[in-house]
Amino acid sequence: MPNLIIDGRAVTVPAGTTIVEAAREAGVAIPTLCYLKDVSNVGSCRVCVVEVEGEPELVAACKTPVAEAMVVRTDTPRVAEARRLALDLVISNHGLNSTNFCFSCLKNGDCELQDLCRDLGVETPSFPVPEKNAPVRDANPFLRFDPRLCIGCQRCVGACNNQARNHTLQTVQRGLRAAVEAPFGPDWRATGCESCGCCAAACPTGAIVEKRRADYRAWEVSAVRTTCPHCATGCQYDLLVKDGRIVDTRPADGPSNHGRLCVKGRSGSFDFVQASDRLTTPLIRNCATGALEPAGWDEALDYVAENFKRIIGETGPDSVAAFACSRSANEDIYLLQKMARAAFGTNNVDNCARVCHAPTVAGLAITLGSGAMTNTIADITDTPDVIMMVGSNIEEAHPVIGMQVRAAVERGSKLIVVDPRDIRIAERADIHLKLRPGTNVAFANGFARALIHAGLADDAFIEERTEGFDAFAAMVEEYTPERVAEICHIDPDDLVAAAELYGRADRAPIIYCLGVTEHSTGTEGVMSLSNIALVAGKLGRPGCGVNPIRGQNNVQGACDMGATPADFPGYQKVANPEVRAKFETAWGVALPEKPGLMATECFGAMKDGRIRGLFIFGEDPVRTDADTNHVMGALEALDFLVVDDLFLTETAALADVVLPGRSYAEKEGTFTNTERRVQRIRPAVEIEGTRPDTWIFTEIMNRMGYPQPHLSPAAIMDEVASLTPSYGGISHERLDSAAVAGGGLQWPCPTADSPGTPIMHVGTFSRGKAKFSDAEYRPADELPCGEFPLVLMTGRVLHHYNACAMTARTEGLNAMGDTSFIELNDADAAALGVADGDRVRVESRRGSLVTTARVSPKTSPGETWMPFHFQDGNANWLTNAALDDVCKVPEYKVCAVAVSRAEA
Amino acid sequence: MNRLSIEARAVHDGRLRAFLDRFERRVVATPPGMCPVALTTTLLEASAAQTCGKCVPCRDGLPQAAALMGSVLACRATEGDMERLRALAELARDGSDCAIGSEAGAAVLAALDEFADEFASHVQRRRCTEGVGQSVPCETDCPAHVNVPGYIALAGAGDCAGAVAMIRKDNPFPTACAFVCEHPCETRCRRMLVDAPLNIRGIKRYAVDRAAADEVAVPEALPATGRRIAVVGAGPSGLTCAYFAALMGHEVHVYEGRTQLGGMMRFGIPSYRFPRERLDEDIAAILRAGDITVHAGEAVDAAALERLAADFDALYVAIGAHGAKTLRLENEGAAGVFSAVELLGAIGEGEIPDFTGKSVVVVGGGNVAMDCARTAVRCGGEVTVVYRRRLEDMTALAAEVEAAIAEGVEMRPLQAPVGLAVNEEGAVRALITQPQMVGPMKGGRPAPVAADKPETVIAADVVLVAIGQDIVSDPFEAFGMAADRGRFTADNFLVAEGFTNVFAGGDCQTGPATVIRAIAAGKVAARNIDAYLGYNHTLDCGVEAPPAVPNRRVPTGRVAVAERPARERARDFAATEEAMSTEEAAQECGRCLRCDVFGCGSAEGGRIQYA
Repeated sequence: MPNLIIDGRAVTVPAGTTIVEAAREAGVAIPTLCYLKDVSNVGSCRVCVVEVEGEPELVAACKTPVAEAMVVRTDTPRVAEARRLALDLVISNHGLNSTNFCFSCLKNGDCELQDLCRDLGVETPSFPVPEKNAPVRDANPFLRFDPRLCIGCQRCVGACNNQARNHTLQTVQRGLRAAVEAPFGPDWRATGCESCGCCAAACPTGAIVEKRRADYRAWEVSAVRTTCPHCATGCQYDLLVKDGRIVDTRPADGPSNHGRLCVKGRSGSFDFVQASDRLTTPLIRNCATGALEPAGWDEALDYVAENFKRIIGETGPDSVAAFACSRSANEDIYLLQKMARAAFGTNNVDNCARVCHAPTVAGLAITLGSGAMTNTIADITDTPDVIMMVGSNIEEAHPVIGMQVRAAVERGSKLIVVDPRDIRIAERADIHLKLRPGTNVAFANGFARALIHAGLADDAFIEERTEGFDAFAAMVEEYTPERVAEICHIDPDDLVAAAELYGRADRAPIIYCLGVTEHSTGTEGVMSLSNIALVAGKLGRPGCGVNPIRGQNNVQGACDMGATPADFPGYQKVANPEVRAKFETAWGVALPEKPGLMATECFGAMKDGRIRGLFIFGEDPVRTDADTNHVMGALEALDFLVVDDLFLTETAALADVVLPGRSYAEKEGTFTNTERRVQRIRPAVEIEGTRPDTWIFTEIMNRMGYPQPHLSPAAIMDEVASLTPSYGGISHERLDSAAVAGGGLQWPCPTADSPGTPIMHVGTFSRGKAKFSDAEYRPADELPCGEFPLVLMTGRVLHHYNACAMTARTEGLNAMGDTSFIELNDADAAALGVADGDRVRVESRRGSLVTTARVSPKTSPGETWMPFHFQDGNANWLTNAALDDVCKVPEYKVCAVAVSRAEA
Repeated sequence: MNRLSIEARAVHDGRLRAFLDRFERRVVATPPGMCPVALTTTLLEASAAQTCGKCVPCRDGLPQAAALMGSVLACRATEGDMERLRALAELARDGSDCAIGSEAGAAVLAALDEFADEFASHVQRRRCTEGVGQSVPCETDCPAHVNVPGYIALAGAGDCAGAVAMIRKDNPFPTACAFVCEHPCETRCRRMLVDAPLNIRGIKRYAVDRAAADEVAVPEALPATGRRIAVVGAGPSGLTCAYFAALMGHEVHVYEGRTQLGGMMRFGIPSYRFPRERLDEDIAAILRAGDITVHAGEAVDAAALERLAADFDALYVAIGAHGAKTLRLENEGAAGVFSAVELLGAIGEGEIPDFTGKSVVVVGGGNVAMDCARTAVRCGGEVTVVYRRRLEDMTALAAEVEAAIAEGVEMRPLQAPVGLAVNEEGAVRALITQPQMVGPMKGGRPAPVAADKPETVIAADVVLVAIGQDIVSDPFEAFGMAADRGRFTADNFLVAEGFTNVFAGGDCQTGPATVIRAIAAGKVAARNIDAYLGYNHTLDCGVEAPPAVPNRRVPTGRVAVAERPARERARDFAATEEAMSTEEAAQECGRCLRCDVFGCGSAEGGRIQYA
């Protein structure tokens, strides 16, 4: 490590550290303007120049690495003069004569240029510059670029190209007329810009801003550090609050996002909180009129308790069920499952992981012993040799991880994409296996066979750390490249090449998502992927593993908290008497022995009267679950339905009682992200009329006769920790401590001095030895036929999340797309006489809808794809509720449909 | 899919390279008399245009500096503007990432220092310094200010005698300059803007070949003044002075230590470059001018100088530089070690040595070293040139180096002599050298430093030292003339320090230089002696430049002067160059843009001429 002296202070820093960072270590502040750590260090502004002994010229501290025995001076008159002159040039070119000066700028008070000029004593721009007249580009719903204010510092360019890695914001007209071209002009939709806003966050001036900055001034807002409520990446940011309203977000250097945010997190994570249609009073259905009418809290809660008591009294505790909200906090979810088990007396409790990653939880628990992501986001995107992504449209579903995958690929990682569509990241893939939907198990078995035949099986690892290999090897022997190619519609050589690429790599994570799980063979698909990592010995070490990217912000936590019918918190089995006894002692009540029904099973049970009462916390299964007709029929058959939600959703509209709960921005708590990292959420605002969900559950429990004291979320987490070994060392106090420094804690974290576990299964698997699965390929439940000749897949788009309950309340996101569509292959479209943009009718055995055709080669012939967000043509009218054998996930990703031109 | 294009990313790059040639030629052809502030402004603007747009000091600073420089150029700037200009230049030099910015800043700072007088004049007097202003390039850059467009036009019109007369208006050595002039007139020839400079020396050669100098009558001398002028030294400078002074009507006595006239043109420049009989043509013509008496074989000593100063109204000292510089190595007096001056002087006297079967090592990289080397080849030697810098650093004309190599001379650059080995008889056996490498620049050339390589032994039966010459100044210093570092001290008007009637010029005053500079000094001396004597004679050469035909600016190649085949010419002392044909000369003359008539040459003050 080089030793150097900065302004007389000795400092030792790792080789490769820049002078500016070394100076920070030494406690010497070097002013910077164009420099943004890890984003841009092109050394444009020269405000950071320093003198280095022996160097005749001044040196840009931001981009010059330290050297042994370097002697740096930052405080000489020569340095000060050069900085001031450079800054004078910058401020002179800042367009002050072309715009309306600082006080009308959206960044006034939050402008680094302004601050720096004050700090360095540059009081007036002294160089004459011609007035600028480049047009403002502001067609993008969120972002605005005023070229007149641009100082050419390149930070936005760094943000788009080095941070977001989207490469849509570029420098054009290099040279004397070098200019930034921000893709926010009238053609913004065609640019590929993800509107993530990293550029605006990077801009030191008011040149690129989020338009909503017009609503506030920097000095008017307070900041509340919290966790993004959209996907499970767990990005850290601040909510900026002015006069009791959230006006903006500001990215933080969180462990999973490092200053990045996506469009949903940055721009779509607070409008819904303070939407005018938030529920602010309990509603009770008037039996006479059938209408939901406002009611007082006592009245509503008593009514809820009475009816659940009545139903339990009539048909027993297992005739009621509760669904937890995967978007809510761990503390809420813990208390909800406690309500179900201790107050209702049933294990009929589940969460929406049931319809996404339940196969992950089940499958990896079977093979590895723990159903969660094995490695961390940083670990699998830092310096892997190869990344294999299966069924993960990561740039749209998990955009901030997508940015990091793009970075890895640009740094040299090879990329294998296994996906039925030409998703955008497939363009960067070394090998894209565009397999037929529903054939993952065949692919994985063939891949494993190819590894074995290439001599790339890690024999020592298999021998030492696994069981069941011989039977597995015998089973996969049938999956020759040729046979797999025929099943999956891929090139056999590509399959073998992919296996060789993966197998020969030292560090190669498998990343997968709902393309693997949302099948009737989802659990088998998950286990088959774990087989691949086991054969190659790529588990329990950095840059490897089997990495499910979870969907909802806290779906990992919802599973961790025991909102599942067979598990107490921490995957402690209901069926285990010792575990049950522990919870009975802690909760002071006898608990049901029999595992409950899974959510997807519940709908059938509702239809046949086995389940009569249902408490839904923050879910909208009418919109989100497969086969809408089936779901609505089930809910309508219920005796009593309670929905605790933010809005009067389509599900809430069917309820007998609706309770106005609170969003993530109104409560203390924790989310657990996809990499098992427990991070804090904190209240920024309060919506009058709503109540904390923990308060609601506590009140119901008490009214039903279970004595549950009102506990703070911190106290609830303490109770979780006391009962859940993997969360044993986690508390709000610790998460808020300087030691954790906002980095969260990754479970397993059994004790208060455990640092948490970034990489699982190091040395030994959670279940001891890992187990090979010998699941064979089985075709999807519903295959195309003469009547329904096309396969329909469903999935997400970048700008919306699931039922759009949150995202559709941000106008700008709707402007980016708020209507349903179906992707059709050009050949199919030609055969059907359908052109791009035509209205088409899509029919399955379960339903029918009209939507807009998007014709392209993105899907293979015979295959179609729809987003499941948009109610004007919700794909779930069509999807098949055929359930996975193990964990009952519906087969969202494959059903058979017929497409025809819709009559005008 | 990522695909690579075989073409440059910027589609213009290829075409730009060709286009840049125009830019380069325009820079090289920058007309004499340019205001340095204007030149620096354009350099700065060009530098600013080259920015990539990244660094503030370059991207924003250079345009601001150029704007400030523009106001200096327009004579609107204040001292405060100059300070800001300097600060911006320092920021660009010190704070830029790459050389586009830093070198632009350094160039501005260099210009501010180098041309401080011009900048000060712009700021304080709101005008350029005296003398700034464009003038005809060839005529200006010729030290003797020969009317080049005029004689080219005459030669082009077929009047070669007129061309010779026109040349002789300013230079009585048309033949010498036709063979050996380094032709500074060509360096900024405006024709370069179109294609390439004219081959001016080639045209001159054509003229003197068609009209020999001694066959073209010299002008009638003006009526005798009764004034007497002594010229010491009958080289190009002394004879030029004698020629013009005689035409002005003065009585001239030329004193020459050797028995033959011509100085270095006879005793330095080998005859294969300048045949002796052709030199004689010039000298014969000169001696026909007015009243010239030659005292050949009369070396002057201090006493003689005293006498001349007393007997004559004015004295012009033009003794050239005939003293050899030495290597200052042990054994330099050994048999077989000679100076260039000794060798070439002896050959000038007709004593041609026989180097057959001998290894000859020439030390030096100037034109004299090439003369030695090529002469040694013609004397039968196997010749090696040892030079301590690189080939491209040699001060010899590139054509001379190429010709030497073609004639079989082995170049050993980056070898510094460190010793001379001698045999038992005390004769030189080898030159010992220390290999060099080039280091940082000093005075525009990279300085050689010892390389970490072992010494080299270069076998040598003859070592010729050609590393420069000094004047033999002893009697003149005794007479009272001042000398500094091998040169007589004189002012810009060539008046010797401490005298009013003694003038000094040529190599003895400038150090070893060129024939044309010596001629220019002789002409200046004659003019200033005339003025000193109280006259203001003007001379009529008897011809005028023909009217100009309209410029033809169709790009056309430059006619090169052919040389005899190297294998053939290396065996004799006959001239190596061949003359242009009439057709070639006509084409070449036709390329002349007649800057004397078009452009600044037709404007008042646009020509540098003497009447």
